[in-house]
Amino acid sequence: MSGLHNLLAHEVVEGIKEGLFTAEEYVSTVIKTIEDVESKLNSFITLDTERALSSAKLIDRKIKENEDIGYLGGVAVGIKDNISTKDIRTTCASKMLEDYVPSYDATVIRNLKQNGAIILGKLNLDEFGMGSTTEYSRYHPTHNPWNLDYVPGGSSGGCGAAVAAGECTVSLGSDTGGSIRCPASFCSVVGLKPTYGRVSRYGLISYANSLEQIGPICRSVKDIVLIMNIISGKDNSDNTSMSSSPITINNKLDKFDIAIVKELINGGDHEVTGTVYSASDKFKEIGCTCDEISIKNLHYALPSYYTLASAEASSNLARYDNIRYGFHLPIEEYKWDTYFSNVRKNFGEEVKRRILIGSYVLSSGYYSKYYLKARSLRSLLKLELLKLFKKYDLLIGPTMPILPFKFGEKIDDPIKMYLVDINTVIANLAGIPAISLPVGFSNGLPIGLQLMAAPFEEQKLIDVSYALENTINIQRRPSLT
Amino acid sequence: MISKDELEYLAQISKINLSEDEAKKFPEQLDKTIEYIDILEELASDDSNVLDLQEMKFDELRDDVVRMSGALRITKNLTEDGFLRGPKMK
Amino acid sequence: MSLVMIGLEIHAQITVLESKLFCSCRGNYRDLRPNTNICETCCGLPGTLPIINKKAIQYSTMTSIALGCKVPDKIMFYRKNYFYPDLPKNFQITQYNVYGFSSIGAEGSFELDDSKKIRISRIQLEEDPGRINYLEGGMNVRNSALIDYNRAGVALIEIVTEPDFTNPKEVRLFLNKLSLTLEHLGVCNTLMEGSVRCDVNVSMKGGNKVEIKNINSFKEVEKAINYEITRQTSMYNRNIKIESETRHWDDKKKITYKSRSKEEEHDYRYFPEPDIPIIVLGDNFVSNLKVHMPELPSQRFDRFVSKYKLSEHISDILINDKKLADFFESTLKIYFSPVEIANFLITEFKSMIEDDSDSTDYLRNMKVKPEHIAELVKMIEGNKISRITAKDILVKIFESGLLPSEIVNNTNSFKIADEKILMDAVQSVFDTEKSAVEDAKTNHEAINFLLGKVMKFTNGRADPKIAMRLINNKLKKPNA
Repeated sequence: MSGLHNLLAHEVVEGIKEGLFTAEEYVSTVIKTIEDVESKLNSFITLDTERALSSAKLIDRKIKENEDIGYLGGVAVGIKDNISTKDIRTTCASKMLEDYVPSYDATVIRNLKQNGAIILGKLNLDEFGMGSTTEYSRYHPTHNPWNLDYVPGGSSGGCGAAVAAGECTVSLGSDTGGSIRCPASFCSVVGLKPTYGRVSRYGLISYANSLEQIGPICRSVKDIVLIMNIISGKDNSDNTSMSSSPITINNKLDKFDIAIVKELINGGDHEVTGTVYSASDKFKEIGCTCDEISIKNLHYALPSYYTLASAEASSNLARYDNIRYGFHLPIEEYKWDTYFSNVRKNFGEEVKRRILIGSYVLSSGYYSKYYLKARSLRSLLKLELLKLFKKYDLLIGPTMPILPFKFGEKIDDPIKMYLVDINTVIANLAGIPAISLPVGFSNGLPIGLQLMAAPFEEQKLIDVSYALENTINIQRRPSLT
Repeated sequence: MISKDELEYLAQISKINLSEDEAKKFPEQLDKTIEYIDILEELASDDSNVLDLQEMKFDELRDDVVRMSGALRITKNLTEDGFLRGPKMK
Repeated sequence: MSLVMIGLEIHAQITVLESKLFCSCRGNYRDLRPNTNICETCCGLPGTLPIINKKAIQYSTMTSIALGCKVPDKIMFYRKNYFYPDLPKNFQITQYNVYGFSSIGAEGSFELDDSKKIRISRIQLEEDPGRINYLEGGMNVRNSALIDYNRAGVALIEIVTEPDFTNPKEVRLFLNKLSLTLEHLGVCNTLMEGSVRCDVNVSMKGGNKVEIKNINSFKEVEKAINYEITRQTSMYNRNIKIESETRHWDDKKKITYKSRSKEEEHDYRYFPEPDIPIIVLGDNFVSNLKVHMPELPSQRFDRFVSKYKLSEHISDILINDKKLADFFESTLKIYFSPVEIANFLITEFKSMIEDDSDSTDYLRNMKVKPEHIAELVKMIEGNKISRITAKDILVKIFESGLLPSEIVNNTNSFKIADEKILMDAVQSVFDTEKSAVEDAKTNHEAINFLLGKVMKFTNGRADPKIAMRLINNKLKKPNA
């Protein structure tokens, strides 16, 4: 049966339950798609198709025996390769973890499995999530399915490309400074970064703990809701997680007050800006108000983000010393400290730069100059945003200030690369939820709209996104054959 | 500006051996980044003590109970006696 | 400026805890095969997060209260970043007070004696690293180090004092009092191997501070300080400048030696631990804890004096041996005669175990229980047995674990109050001790000598009061 890989997650579950097709037929179609396009895209680092097929057969047996298959029964999921999966190698796209097979499942993975999801494999990323293109993957870059010469965005670039191309039906990514929303925007799919604490981070291999969240990348808003309700909730293995009420798809939209953030528009590509403005016209059509506002401290956001993220990264990545796990490097030749330094030179260049910057901003002479300042900016920004959210339900702007770009364009200049994240880091600093929704194309390259809401107001993001998704009929499938 | 010595110091406390190539190009790249984040200095320092960490209540903390169900087995570098072999200390 | 200034940094494990500070592995890692008391979290596997132990916060707070510290409404954890093979994450989760006060205790003071207090600068809760095994033949067995993570993540309380000590004796007194306090609170069994460690800093005549690390028992601390004072004095006398440095204590050679590497001088890059939210203790946390907190040694002392009417001297002896004091109070529950029982315990009883006092838990493994002592003292007070007999019976209890009444019945050792029997005993003493009898007619001391002989004759069973009366009567008779 062809075309099954194009189905949305809720359609897959319904189809299997109603006996329109078997889980095995569906998973085989998805695997066939991977075989067809993976050589062009390089979305995956590790595939686990054999186990996926036997899981599918298990689902089919349950159907036969009238057993419950769960909310995600049979759905083929791709997982960003920085989320721990028991018995499936989890590399973070790094040489440091090339042989690392976790002994436990991340909480989100446990939740997915308990609901019948099938893990297809592990998706590519920039090493440890540090980057916006997947060019910093130790293994290979992933290509944008809409144009193979272009980057898919990052760091969850494998997720964006695989979901867009039908190599999996939904995926889980992680977002530290935009890593879900950037590839969602560049690959024309939907990506949600949840409120900080809504989803357990247990098992997510830390890059910057205080900023990051796991979230879904899907082909529709409805699938985002389906996944979110499965992965959300307080987890005893993560003290920063919190309980929250489930979200739903509402067919009737409340009249929301929306504000376009000027600073997010200014300085962006005009194709992007134009598309965002026309999307805002659509908001008015569906009964919302739309103002333009300004956020005072926004130009400090990105420097603050890089300070905090690098600081936390330098400490998080200290554990990779190859003693307990890691790649093979004989210990006999070295004293412990030279052994550590020789092992750790195998991080990629970008990771090394961020570790060094992190050590720099935390070292005794500079702590209050950088780290404390960055923390205080973060508080100020959060306060300012919360004040705005008293007046507006949503703040919007382009997810990415620019269109997807070609490989190699920014890789030689770290600052150029960092600037790509300028619109997305705000939500991470403030811990608020943000979604990227496909709203159009320019020269065949996707454009995403970012919507931000107050903490735990994911429902508002979903309501407006769902209404907008139904209003703008966006092209869903890249042609890769 | 990051001097050669300063870079060496950062590499030493971060336990990373830098290649010749990196030692050559990192100072300039790191300088650019530091220059970029230097803008934070403009922020008034009286706000510097504001920390925005989450809070949790004492009652929500974990009870003191032993649970070793899935006790971890390390296999890498294990000796017969169960010790982990690491690089020498001296 | 005093001649010598000494400060302490003490690490005490919270040995009362069942589980580790941030995971559910066992808190007691001792006597286990290496690397079998570990999980993903305490081994620092990627993606794991610290989940803090509630009880660890309660016990460290009690310690802070006992040491007169302020306890804040909210506490925070920090990361201390440094690389070392015993540290699974290559950072340690600890607390830090430089950017605002967030550790479990600060600015306390602890009374050494009536005239001196030691200021406590801070108390913090942190995780213990694993252990690198230093086998005979050095740390490098087959060109490698042997690491055991069983201890990694065990809860530690760090207590830091101001440099308020002026001699090693004060340090010893402080550590004794501190041990006693920790023991009373139930926080730490300081006798368990490796449960307490101490770093010391010593400076002289306002000179540079020298830190001594690696002192793995309180007993060694005094020796290390003495060595260091001698070393620094001799340098001072020879006009050699004392460098600010870190030294290690070698407990085999009993010397301090300079750390060779620069590794010791760290830039720890502290920053708030992002995986642990600020913990809000709440308004009534400290006051509630104070109500439910175990009694402190000083409070117990006051109670012993006022409630049991014990002398300060005897109370002090009991309090300084918590297990003996507990034993004392258990005995009182069975038979309430505080003065007599206390006396019996610190004389007869203690003298028998003194030889054994090095063994860590002498009371637990003993056959003598409070029931025995209660019954024994009751017999003495009821005039059923003499003190001398009681001592013999105690020896038998130590051996057999039998109740005193059983032993007395078996050995027929009740006091002899029968005047006929006693008269025979007195007569035979008078027959053999003729010169003493003559002496006794004028010299009172000699009467006691005769009584002693009668007691000996009856194997200590004679009722001394009756025997004395009989001796006196007999002496008064003309033909005596």
